Amino acid sequence: MKISLVPVPQAQLSDNLVDWLHVEDRRLGLISSLDGGQLVTLVLDCTDASAQCWLTPLDSDVYHSLTPSVPQAHWFERALNDLFGIRAAGHPRLKSVLQQSSCKGNLHPLRSIAQCGNPDHGHKSDNSYLHVSGEGVYEIPVGPVHAGIIEPGHFRLNCLGETIINLEIRLGFLHRGVERRLTEIPWRSARFVAEAASSDAAAACAIAHAIAVESMSDITVPERAQYLRTLALEVERVSMHINDLGGMSVDLGWSWLAANLSRLRGMTQEMAALLSGSRFLRNFICPGGVSVDPDARLGELKRMSEVVSKQLEVPINAFFDNSSVHDRTVKVGEISRSAARELGLVGVAARGSGIAYDARQHFAHGLYPALAPAMAVETAGDVLSRLKVRSAEIVGSLDLIRTALDNITSGTTSSELPNKLPGDTIGVGIVEAFRGELIHLIFTDKHGAIKRYCIKDPSFNNWTALAIAAGGNLVADFPVCNKSFSLSYSGVDL
Amino acid sequence: MRLLSYILSHGTVTQKELFPQLPLHHSGLPEVAPGSYCQGTECRHCQDVCPTAAITVSAGDNGTYQVSLDLGRCISCGLCLNQCPENVFVRNLSTATAVRNRQALMLSNQPPVTHVGKQPEQANIFRRSLFVRVVSTGCSACDSEVATTGNPVFDLERFGIHVVATPRAADAILVTGPLGLGMQDALRRTYEAAAEPRLVIAAGTDAISGGVHAGGYAAANGLAGLLPVDVYIPGCPPHPWSIIHGLMLAMGRI
Repeated sequence: MKISLVPVPQAQLSDNLVDWLHVEDRRLGLISSLDGGQLVTLVLDCTDASAQCWLTPLDSDVYHSLTPSVPQAHWFERALNDLFGIRAAGHPRLKSVLQQSSCKGNLHPLRSIAQCGNPDHGHKSDNSYLHVSGEGVYEIPVGPVHAGIIEPGHFRLNCLGETIINLEIRLGFLHRGVERRLTEIPWRSARFVAEAASSDAAAACAIAHAIAVESMSDITVPERAQYLRTLALEVERVSMHINDLGGMSVDLGWSWLAANLSRLRGMTQEMAALLSGSRFLRNFICPGGVSVDPDARLGELKRMSEVVSKQLEVPINAFFDNSSVHDRTVKVGEISRSAARELGLVGVAARGSGIAYDARQHFAHGLYPALAPAMAVETAGDVLSRLKVRSAEIVGSLDLIRTALDNITSGTTSSELPNKLPGDTIGVGIVEAFRGELIHLIFTDKHGAIKRYCIKDPSFNNWTALAIAAGGNLVADFPVCNKSFSLSYSGVDL
Repeated sequence: MRLLSYILSHGTVTQKELFPQLPLHHSGLPEVAPGSYCQGTECRHCQDVCPTAAITVSAGDNGTYQVSLDLGRCISCGLCLNQCPENVFVRNLSTATAVRNRQALMLSNQPPVTHVGKQPEQANIFRRSLFVRVVSTGCSACDSEVATTGNPVFDLERFGIHVVATPRAADAILVTGPLGLGMQDALRRTYEAAAEPRLVIAAGTDAISGGVHAGGYAAANGLAGLLPVDVYIPGCPPHPWSIIHGLMLAMGRI
């Protein structure tokens, strides 16, 4: 996808963004900066699959916050404050997205120009919690090291009796400096870091990276490689969706179901290994195509996909027929359609709240949109809706895997890459990962070196939804709400 | 009844054979063929292509060249396998890959210096049961593989290994992920909360060396220098059998 660069003066940015989002099928992709001297706003138009990059030069480190008029900008503005030292004046709560210790001695790690104005002025990170006071209100702190085997993050639940009044989420424990690392290494090696941004969605990350690079230098990907990429993305989706349903069974206390889904998830990981050699599809997708051709193993892949489809029927039907499951998931963790739209939710969380947005339908990657399966949309916005969307997508993806395997063409699997990327160019890759819309945005300098690499993980949009969905629910339902969103910590902390 | 027949139709899925070889289509870990010939520092394709600087080529004895591969840094990308004109690198499909000594992850084509693995002093204490606290510091794939060891196929608990929710009850801390500055304090406090004697297991390349994240401003360089490590499990991510191998090594049963 070619992307146009549009200069937007600071005074007009907020109004332009409000007008843009007023149209139903237009979206905000991300807001970031290149070096701290400007704002970069990526906006997407699903009607004609186009994107624009708005460039807003800043004359000071403080600008007028967009969040009051565009609520979904709030996390982006918090990240700008931490990573670039650009402060959004008038932001309702400029809470830090990083841990104070995350970049010791390196305040604002992505800023490469000098600070403008008094650096102490308002650039301190805010790590405070919102406290609820009143008779009988108490706090439950959870994390960063969780009881189960999951990534670290801190949740602070303010409760009255068994009801959650407010949930505070603090992330940033996993900050590894991924975005800056991607500008420091040779671009040929960048794919290994890009897919480690969120290793459980390695295929999606690698495809987004590859598309962004390919769009810069007009590389055509052979058709067979497009098939293999699509297979990788769908195998990953099936695998992780089954994993999420299994995790939900654990939280609901149904160990028989959890054991069976875990076994089936193992089979999908074996499918991933058949395709790529790795159970997590690592090191498979590269700019220009894919790194290995699974050749004869595709037959075995098809056989396994049929077995998984068949063996999934009983557990999934048992899950949705069970009255205890309904008891724990109906009207729990609700997100209304209007809230979902205002927060810019993506993926299963959006489709569970009645928003028909799936990047596979709108933005070209792999064999999409030609081969995109019918979109599963539920309107209730509760935990059950998200589960239904997820299980429908498992079926849809398994069908798609078989269709792709029936029609796969022969030929080469990778094309030649240039020695260097073109100078002063923008590349964008938009992929529907199993969690939702994933964006990689690359800017090169005049020599063709990557000067800025932005990653917008789907969970970037969806974390706020968990904080809202958990409010008013029972403490015991918090794990169920959390699992239903299936959020990534490492993809957001970067 | 339907569920019962479903259960019966699958029989027992738990693998009886311990640490089986991976099927041929897995990429596994690379290995340096012992005694293999290297063209020398003029070639160095492997060193140039390695994304994590795990390979070095240097002059060895009697005009030969030494190729060293540090599995603690390797992310099994497979680039070195295709690049070497002399096929110095081969695939290792074993799942018994955990070691007790960091030096044992350094592979070379020259005759290896024998590394006597440090015998854990508490070997007998944990021999029959090991309670493990998992601390994730940034690699969701490794976490996922650790969680997979508990499923019916691998069935971790049959070996007397139990994943616990609190460090107070833990004999061992198993760490995944590259351990950036943000998690260092939390990990240290988890470690201190575990009663002595306690073991530390580094699961995955990220936990051993930081992998692709090493050397950045967030100091995500793995466990080295932060905690004393008893067992190293290479791989990015390691296979569930390799993780079980590491845990059994920590127990002193291997």
